[in-house]
Amino acid sequence: MSRTVSVFNKLEKAGTYAENAVLVIILISMILLAGTQILLRNFLDTSLFWGDEMLRMMVLWLTVAGGLAASRKDKHISIEVLDRFMPDSLQLITKIIIDLFTAAVCAFIAWHSARFVLGSYEFGDTVMGNTPAWMLQIILPVGFVLMAYRHLVLAIKRPFGPATGIDRP
Amino acid sequence: MIVTGAILVLLVLLGAPLFAVIAAGAFWNFSQADIDLQAFAIEFYGIAEMPILLAIPLFTFAGYLLSESNAPLRLVRLTTALLGWMPAGLAVVSLIACAFFTAFTGASGVTIIALGAILFPAMQQAGYPEKFNLGLVTSAGSLGLLFAPSLPLILYGVVAEVPIESLFLAGLLPGFLMLLILSGFSIWKNRAIRTPLGDFSWSEVRSAVRESIWEIPLPIIVLGGIYSGYFAISEAAAVTALYVLIVDVVIIKEVSLRKLPSIIRESMVLVGGIMMILGVSRASTNFMIDAGVPQQLLQWISGFVSGEIAFMVMLLVFLLMLGAILDIFSAIVLVVPLILPVAIQFGVHPVHLGIVFLAAMQLGYITPPVGLNLFIAGYRFNRPIVNVYLSTLPFFVFLMISVVLIAFWPSLSLYLL
Repeated sequence: MSRTVSVFNKLEKAGTYAENAVLVIILISMILLAGTQILLRNFLDTSLFWGDEMLRMMVLWLTVAGGLAASRKDKHISIEVLDRFMPDSLQLITKIIIDLFTAAVCAFIAWHSARFVLGSYEFGDTVMGNTPAWMLQIILPVGFVLMAYRHLVLAIKRPFGPATGIDRP
Repeated sequence: MIVTGAILVLLVLLGAPLFAVIAAGAFWNFSQADIDLQAFAIEFYGIAEMPILLAIPLFTFAGYLLSESNAPLRLVRLTTALLGWMPAGLAVVSLIACAFFTAFTGASGVTIIALGAILFPAMQQAGYPEKFNLGLVTSAGSLGLLFAPSLPLILYGVVAEVPIESLFLAGLLPGFLMLLILSGFSIWKNRAIRTPLGDFSWSEVRSAVRESIWEIPLPIIVLGGIYSGYFAISEAAAVTALYVLIVDVVIIKEVSLRKLPSIIRESMVLVGGIMMILGVSRASTNFMIDAGVPQQLLQWISGFVSGEIAFMVMLLVFLLMLGAILDIFSAIVLVVPLILPVAIQFGVHPVHLGIVFLAAMQLGYITPPVGLNLFIAGYRFNRPIVNVYLSTLPFFVFLMISVVLIAFWPSLSLYLL
């Protein structure tokens, strides 16, 4: 049991690390690429032909990676009106139901975006000249599968008290 | 249909992530209409097809980075040097500094955390009553929403397909009106207090300017660039992010490289939250527009409201209720596509609608029981939430008055266009 827990904890750590790395790399390259485009456009009257499309793809990646980071900390935008008036035990149950619901929705999105990406692969869609589009679209199914996993983990950890790494003001 | 709707609403009220509920609703609608559910993924992918969205992560990151440096402190010092001589000077300073900071950080609660922590004790020390202090800092945390380049303005432009440059112009006068009314209230309320910080002094201004020398070019480049049309919005965002990154990390070194990943992560959690909702809503709103929901809404409203003024009254009531339960970003994404066509039918200019929408939603930040700023302030300053409610009340009333003025005085918004 404790071995499973330690493997699990290592996995969590590695996951956070990977998420941070993706967020940092994409955001910093976004800033640099956008800056380069502005310099090129204003001083040399040219620009990287793939630059603008790449920037838009980075926005998609940041959205999904940011969403994943929000899932880890249970910090997605939500309205909490009723749960303030509920006893703790009932709160726990509704929170678990919500985690499971969110996990199911994410899995569903992952499945249908996988179909979308597969279609794009078979059709041979390209972006930025001749880069296969699926290579960039793959973030959708991958990201949402991971989000589904995150919410499942939240549901499982929930009964073990507040020491779950979920911090809310 | 009704059962599904009720379940989804219940899930929202119980605190389910909005994006998941909206996605579930869109899937349900699509499957009812026999649309291939791949369409959902295609709509979400549309996020990668809107160049303007680039501005959202870049401005958000720049705002978070700025609030981690000592820029808030310098901003307060500079504003104090310039305006501290007025009666109730520090109160006015607080309002202006908060508005300025919120415009740059996108109204995400960062203002209260970054500036409130400086202003709250400073005002206490200067002898302002605690109740006034708490109310001022809490309500000022969302002031400045109407000034460029605030995130809600950009998001409204994206969703309503209105030129963002026009919104940036339109927000100026209504934003100043709000500042003016709150400053007037603060001066009147504290007419006895003159700041002990001293009278106006050129040498203090000079040294405050010298201290802020790296931040001062920022608004000039960004606002100048946007208003003159030299930069597109997303370019201005890129310049801001790059500039702040270089200044804070490389030149004045107030943010260490080691700290950067956690700042990036924190800001991108907010960006992810907003953009996920934007992505899933594209699917649901496009469906609702195809299904003719705005027309039905128009027909229904026309049943008991006629004329622009009556419509505006109803809109304000609706927005105030909306603002009390929904955050500004989700509200823009979810509600604007549906009410925009209706508002246009009633003769409301889309730009004016945007300003009214945001001004009313700004009140939502301090509307009990769930206004975001109320909680942040209560948490941050360690005060019972009921105290925060009560102390914010007078500010709420004055902001409400300014929202009504803004709503029924369209030329205030449209004058500069």
